[in-house]
Amino acid sequence: MMKYLKFLIIMVAFCMASCENELDIEPQQSISGGSATETAENVEALLLGAYDAARGNASTPIDGSYDGDMANIAVLFGNTDQVDWNGTFSGLRDIFSKQMINTNGDALAVWGDAYFMFGATNTVLANLDKFEDQDLRDQIEGEAKFLRGIGYFDLARLFGQQYNAGGGNTQLGVPIVLDPPSIDGRAIPRNTVEEVYAQVIQDLTDAYNNLPVDNGNRADRYAAQAVLARVYLQQGNFAAARDAADDVLQNSGHTLMPDFNSVFDTDDNTAETIFSWIITTQEGGNAQVLHFATQDLGGRGGDISINQAYLDKFDSDLDERKNYTYEGNGFVLSSKFVRQFANTEHIRIAEMHLIRAECNFRLGTSVGLAPLDEINALRGRSSAPALGALTLDLILNERELELGFEGFVLHDYKRTQRDIGGLPYNDNRLVFPIPQSARDRNDLLDQNPGY
Amino acid sequence: MRLHHYKLFILAFFMSSVMFAQQSISGTVQGEDGLPLPGVNILVKGKSTGTQTDFDGKYTINAETGEVLSYSYLGFITQEIAVSGQSTINVTLQEDVSALEEVVVVGFGTQSKQTVTTNIAKINADQIGGITTSNFQNTLVAKAPGVQITQVNGKLEGGVKVIIRGLSSVSASQEPLYVIDGIEMNNNNTSSIGANLNPLLSLNPNDIESIDILKDAAAAAIFGAKGTNGVILITTKRGKQQKSQISVDVSTAIGEPTNKRDWLNADQYVELLTESYINRTGADQASADAWVDDRLQRYQGDQDWRDLDYDWQEESFQDSYIQDVNVSVSGGNEKTTSFISGSFSDNEGIVRGNTLKRWGVRANIDHKVSDRFKLGVNANYSSTVIGRIAGDNSFVTPLQAIAQVPTSPAFLLNGDPNPDTLYANFLLQDRYSFRETAVRRILGKIFADIDVIPSLVFRTELGYDYLNQTVDRNTGRLAPFQSTNGQSFASDNGSEIISTNNYLTYDYISDSGSSLNFVLGMNYTRFKNRANSVTGDGFPTDSFRSVSSAATISAGTGTFTNWAQVSYFARATYDYKKKYLLNASLRRDSSSRFGQDERDGYFPAASVGWIISKENFLQDSNVLSNLKLRASWGTNGNTPIDNFGSLGLFGGSSYDGASGIEFTQIENPNLKWEETTQTNVGLDYGFLNNRISGEIDYYIKKTDDLIFRNRLPFETGAPDSARILENIGNLENEGFEFVLNTTNIQTDDLTWKTSFNFSTNKNKITNLPNGADLITGRNILREGEPINSFFLAEYAGVDPANGDALYYTNTENADGTLDRTTTNDFSLAQRVIAGNPNPEFIGGFSSTLNYKTVDFSFTFQGQWGASLYNNAGQFQETGFGNGLDNQDVYVYDNRWQQPGDITDVPQARLFLNNGHSPSTRYLQDADFIRLRNVTLGYSLPQNSVEKIGMSRVRIYLSGLNLLTITDYRGYDPESTNDDANTNTNVGNTFYSAPPAKVYTLGVNLTF
Repeated sequence: MMKYLKFLIIMVAFCMASCENELDIEPQQSISGGSATETAENVEALLLGAYDAARGNASTPIDGSYDGDMANIAVLFGNTDQVDWNGTFSGLRDIFSKQMINTNGDALAVWGDAYFMFGATNTVLANLDKFEDQDLRDQIEGEAKFLRGIGYFDLARLFGQQYNAGGGNTQLGVPIVLDPPSIDGRAIPRNTVEEVYAQVIQDLTDAYNNLPVDNGNRADRYAAQAVLARVYLQQGNFAAARDAADDVLQNSGHTLMPDFNSVFDTDDNTAETIFSWIITTQEGGNAQVLHFATQDLGGRGGDISINQAYLDKFDSDLDERKNYTYEGNGFVLSSKFVRQFANTEHIRIAEMHLIRAECNFRLGTSVGLAPLDEINALRGRSSAPALGALTLDLILNERELELGFEGFVLHDYKRTQRDIGGLPYNDNRLVFPIPQSARDRNDLLDQNPGY
Repeated sequence: MRLHHYKLFILAFFMSSVMFAQQSISGTVQGEDGLPLPGVNILVKGKSTGTQTDFDGKYTINAETGEVLSYSYLGFITQEIAVSGQSTINVTLQEDVSALEEVVVVGFGTQSKQTVTTNIAKINADQIGGITTSNFQNTLVAKAPGVQITQVNGKLEGGVKVIIRGLSSVSASQEPLYVIDGIEMNNNNTSSIGANLNPLLSLNPNDIESIDILKDAAAAAIFGAKGTNGVILITTKRGKQQKSQISVDVSTAIGEPTNKRDWLNADQYVELLTESYINRTGADQASADAWVDDRLQRYQGDQDWRDLDYDWQEESFQDSYIQDVNVSVSGGNEKTTSFISGSFSDNEGIVRGNTLKRWGVRANIDHKVSDRFKLGVNANYSSTVIGRIAGDNSFVTPLQAIAQVPTSPAFLLNGDPNPDTLYANFLLQDRYSFRETAVRRILGKIFADIDVIPSLVFRTELGYDYLNQTVDRNTGRLAPFQSTNGQSFASDNGSEIISTNNYLTYDYISDSGSSLNFVLGMNYTRFKNRANSVTGDGFPTDSFRSVSSAATISAGTGTFTNWAQVSYFARATYDYKKKYLLNASLRRDSSSRFGQDERDGYFPAASVGWIISKENFLQDSNVLSNLKLRASWGTNGNTPIDNFGSLGLFGGSSYDGASGIEFTQIENPNLKWEETTQTNVGLDYGFLNNRISGEIDYYIKKTDDLIFRNRLPFETGAPDSARILENIGNLENEGFEFVLNTTNIQTDDLTWKTSFNFSTNKNKITNLPNGADLITGRNILREGEPINSFFLAEYAGVDPANGDALYYTNTENADGTLDRTTTNDFSLAQRVIAGNPNPEFIGGFSSTLNYKTVDFSFTFQGQWGASLYNNAGQFQETGFGNGLDNQDVYVYDNRWQQPGDITDVPQARLFLNNGHSPSTRYLQDADFIRLRNVTLGYSLPQNSVEKIGMSRVRIYLSGLNLLTITDYRGYDPESTNDDANTNTNVGNTFYSAPPAKVYTLGVNLTF
């Protein structure tokens, strides 16, 4: 029996030695920190991760706001009488009825998603030295700053009061973070709206200077310029907005599609698309379809339906844009969002025409094209009769007709100081609350008045 | 046959008494159950003559009249019979039921209950019989103090939450460790949807011999790094050295929900909707009617809504039906014993579309090669196929149908489900889709015992647990939310645990009756998981359902993950004359889940006991039969749930078809064990020959270095919603446990026993990083308060003047008190600690009554101190402020209508928020007392059973959850949201099904 015992002891001793080695287990579907930023290839992959974080992907915990959520929020929050909310998502219902509370889940998602995206862009920007190819390095820098620029612009518009063209702008915006994620420096206060806009313009200008003229489905220099036009317009800097829009119209090569339907009835980008967020059957999920469309089209059955008040804004029944609807679940629904795997438009050339026309009109100039001709050209595409003369109200109305439900009404009404749903444009209830959960983690974040 | 024996007996009696002094006596020895006992020792007292019963319990011995025969057998009370001329002596031995002789399983060994110095609750098979449930944990409810068992909700496969002595972790596992026959069992939830699936449902409760719950740290310390939440040791049945015995158990059960709620009928709905519209708009009756008419026409399908009054709740529920068959064969000889069982269970749940079929086989075989070498094998295979329904937070889960408009029909006139309902009609999902989950499990082990020298035994065990879960889901083109001509999903998730235990056990008993036991050994455990899935969209017709027929493969996943742990352990148990008891153990664990430098943990424990009743001054007491003082101290550990929690990680993603990488986890190389140190003081008592007995325990359990999914500011840009695993914070649990068992009546025909237990647990967070509150949704972690306390604005009822919902501002005054001013502006109301999601007091009361061959038993359970938040209140009790969801009748009955109305239900205002923000309005006490189970059984008299060649026939009728006494207004105080309850987001219910009330008729047959 002693023989057995010896054998056992040897066996156990052997196992003890070998078992310890069994404890070195590496993860198999992730890579660890240091190696992620080691090579240029990895840094470029991180940039794609930033695009994904901005758009959102069902397989990652971060949902992303640019797959339609950001546009839907502007439609609902900016609603006066154009649409109705029929859905059950209580966060969106409260946004629609301007009864937001500081625990609003959508406000939290916008906030959290944006800063996660900034974490990715900032990691990319901190590792540009890994690139040896200067052209590629410039392009990656431009794309990262493009993403960061649009992110801060949207945060400033939602969480801060409207930018005042007259200056000042010491009202609080959001904290500006330009460093990669770190567990140090855990609390950062909010910057002013002025500071955030300055950062946005800086980032987008850098992007414009660094990006190539054409960059496939990703951001190119005219995407940056087009967003800049939008930013300047929001600031009331009409000359800069006009010139930026004109640059895009003259040089980007993007043109209006011959008919209105072809802009939307496609899964892919068209000549009209300056920048869109890519959605395929395998990537992302179109939140505009989700909330606008019937169930058989991939929606929730018409959460957002069109009211007669919107249709009454049209001056002609011939206008294809007026008839761009269908009936579903007893509601009038928009035909703009009926393709479940369509890309979500971020910025399209029609908006550049509207910006240039409005700014030319306001400034009494005709850079690129006379305002009346520009508006009538846009109307003509949708078989709407030409206008004989322009007023600012007509131009602003034209924006609603052309860009309806694409997420403009909130910001347009604010910059033109029109009432929204019975509230003055600068009412506290028309600014998002800083999410309670963000304030629970960072006690330097001041809450907006009224929450 | 019996008559013949009788005659022979009389004849033999006369003959023997007259003619012989030395005579041959023969007979049969059997147990109380009528089964023959082989191997019983029979001695003639005062002589060396002796024999043993044979395999059929028969014996023959020579003895003289006047001599005394002694019949002894392990586990039975020794019986002595004087010889007075009989030639046949048949003996029935009584089992030794004295609790003190009970053996408990302690992990890597067993110990007599009498000398145990730690807190272990033992539950035997007979205490869990007659409870019809697909989750074996449910059978343990209310049986042991300090053990809270809650089935998440009424779905058959639903998760079960077991909390032993309070929650001691925030972000690491809160579940106890399950060990079956010495082998760690996988208890990871691998459900492919939000709703949990109980991984242990593959166990057949009928295979279980006993369950030992290690509650204090000293008991669990031998399991070291995994013992923090207690350990549940399951022991399965094994064959005995006896004649083969066949048992057949068959039962049929029907069930229904424990509770249904009252929703508005059509008239009430229309009245309240009209009122709500007028309150919102100030419109006149005619235009309100027109608006309501326009709205309700949308949902009426092909009928006229005015003619309809539909109770949707009735569509969600169904009568459940359960059929169980269980067959087992056990027996053996000196060399080999075996237990072999097969079972089949067919369940239809109380929620429409929920089914579960399980079959399984088990073989436990022990073989003795020689006196010094024994080996054995356990093998168990089971297959469970579950028809699953969507999680609670899904439109197509049946219970969400209660939100539908009562003037909306469920079906069109042609019998198809109505597609024009307010929300997606789940009946379309029920008809045009399926989700079938199959859980296949192999549990096995081989083991060998080798006596190295007498009293030194080496045991080696190799265990294997393979848990495979496949999901096949198909959504047909007519199902709700289906836009791609059908979608199919198929997944395969396989986890295996390979483990080995190798240990030496040394036993020494001195002549004076003192004993020493020493255990030294090691364990190695490796877990592997491999999971993949594929989704396909676009099918030619609904008849094509497998992914291969899909037009596009739209998604796919594939993951691997592993962990491993190596442990060494030692334990010494010593008693001095069974009076002074001492126990000490130490375990070292190394886990792959930590970085190289933080890999090892040491977990010591010690306990002492003093059996005072054995002291001379008490030994002769007639009143006191047992008194033992116990004290224990020990440390247990807990690892994070994440396998790579300390690493900074980036994962794959993609954009526009190009692959990208995304930050998924921020690094913390300092992550280490969470440690729980528990001190327990206990007293075991017994009076009047243990007719009254029980235990009293006090414990304090302190957890340090809590593994914490700490929150960073979102602005840092950190991944995983800006969270990081860190060891921060402390918490403690403190409580009393009390057990009282009494034998109220014990006569030959009648026995009546009761058992009562209750326990308290006070949980408190004692330290958080920087003392700061950590808030997740409606739950808060705050120093000095119980874990996950509710943190809500406080509802103050309704302004009698205008029907506005009011809240207390609860801003802090200069003197630290709260400002009790009310406001109708929700944003001015500060949140306050509003309740505890976990009970502070739980109890159980059981009673068994045996009269001749009739048995009757019942168990009550009770729970106090917990609150439950109805997250669906924001839809169900709003007066149409948040959609057209059907409303609780409570709203209709109590709503504010005119100035002066005193009520807590605000004025109904269509689509306006008047009181439906998250507040204490939707928080309710969840105290309850429940008649958990009742069983009435009747066993046929022994003589008539034997006539038909059987040894036992018992028929029983039992009930589960027959009665629930509670003030809680929702479905059930125990049913919670299965889609969103996490470690830190707890205590909410959301269209969650109540548990089932089940009536069972069954029969137990033994051949």
